Amino acid sequence: MTTTDLPASLIPTLPGQHYTDRNVFGLEQSRIFEQMWFCAVRAADLPTPGKFEKVQIGRESVLVVRGRDGGLRAFLNICRHRGAQICTEDSGEVKRAFQCPYHAWTYDLSGKLIAAPNLTSMPDVDRVQYGLVPVHLREWLGYAWVCLADEPPSFEEDVMGAVVERLGDLESIDRYDLDTLEVGRRITYDVKANWKLIVENFMECYHCATIHPELTEVLPEFADGYAAQYYVGHGAEFGDDVKGFTVDGSEGFDKLPGVADDQDRRYYALTVKPSVFINLVPDHVIFHRMFPLAEDRTVVVCDWLYTKEVVESGKDVSRSVELFHRVNEQDFEACERTQPAMSSRAYARGGVLVPSEHHISAFHEWVSARISG
Amino acid sequence: MRVCALSELAPGEGRRVELDPPVAVFHTDDGDVYAIDDTCTHQDASLADGWLEGCEVECPLHASRFDLRTGAVDAPPAKKPVRTHEVSVEGDDVYITLSEAAPNLPPGVGAPTGGSAPSTQGLA
Repeated sequence: MTTTDLPASLIPTLPGQHYTDRNVFGLEQSRIFEQMWFCAVRAADLPTPGKFEKVQIGRESVLVVRGRDGGLRAFLNICRHRGAQICTEDSGEVKRAFQCPYHAWTYDLSGKLIAAPNLTSMPDVDRVQYGLVPVHLREWLGYAWVCLADEPPSFEEDVMGAVVERLGDLESIDRYDLDTLEVGRRITYDVKANWKLIVENFMECYHCATIHPELTEVLPEFADGYAAQYYVGHGAEFGDDVKGFTVDGSEGFDKLPGVADDQDRRYYALTVKPSVFINLVPDHVIFHRMFPLAEDRTVVVCDWLYTKEVVESGKDVSRSVELFHRVNEQDFEACERTQPAMSSRAYARGGVLVPSEHHISAFHEWVSARISG
Repeated sequence: MRVCALSELAPGEGRRVELDPPVAVFHTDDGDVYAIDDTCTHQDASLADGWLEGCEVECPLHASRFDLRTGAVDAPPAKKPVRTHEVSVEGDDVYITLSEAAPNLPPGVGAPTGGSAPSTQGLA
């Protein structure tokens, strides 16, 4: 079957093999995750010097650490001597330095090699040149974004540009003041599905009326199947009788201080390729970071962000968390249900996209272009 | 012997002086200056690259701490003390008088150089 065999209403998806083939995933790791700006950690999770987090980006293990000067830096988690992984724990705190547990090569928080057995008798070993390998890091929206490429793409075009493409301007997201918000709840989902199934799911709402009863109750227009991401700048409006973005439509919290009147009572969803989804609602922000770990496994870390006041006062965020937590569980169950079918002969040539999903085809074209080099 | 200018040594910092064996000079946060042998007695590491806290320096490799006043070590893996050297500060000049005691150097440090080629047999 070719594209031309399809009725005009339908356009093809990627073939099933793109979701199961280790070699395809390898190309996605090297040509997408290791080349683009990748959202790694919430900056406030590393508040003081020596706090670190280890993240997997493509094939690389990366350390993000708060330095003595207060800045965040990122390094490949590999000793320059014989290649042992420096840190094996997911997060933690070092007092003053990272030390390789193999031969005790020791690096300060700026990555410089500061000590090693017999180093003083090797004065020709440059301590910066043989320091930890640094990778590029930018902070935006309260998150550290890292890029493993030698020459990173423009952050303004790739990351900020994705937000502009969806919302129309940067001011629309700046009003939510993401970097001042605090994590009210974090849930980590270990999803047995290819990362592209999760992106595609997030991009369309054809499934909303079927698997998201609570969400569709709050956002009635989702029942028509057209996703919040279909129209530039459009935010789905709350139902008339809905008081807040909560699991039962009951009252939420005060509107975030910067949110404009025309953003009130609306839900905006956006994707920042390759691995971030953001949902903006008047009183909080839901921020998803994906970590594709294998062709059939993706870890998704979801932060519910509220004002400092809401978090510190210990207000009950459970009804507002519960709404999107259910959405996530419903979505990831659907993705896990789909993953095994990707290797079926029924899906060898892929499936089809209906008109309200046609914009997903642009994502497929983007992935295909990137991995074909 | 003059080893450095005090103004070159910020409080909280140490520096290695290339003598044989090397000496480390430290300027504490309280403004005192001390000199000890720079090489940890456990393994070849420069204590000047370690971390100064109060009147103690922690070896950067395995965290044994040496008292700058006495040279005593707090805990293994180092077991022997380092030598301390007398310090005098005159104006901006730091002088030391080297100890005449025998140094406690780790294995392989200060040993005669040259000799036979390293073995290619395994050690571990």
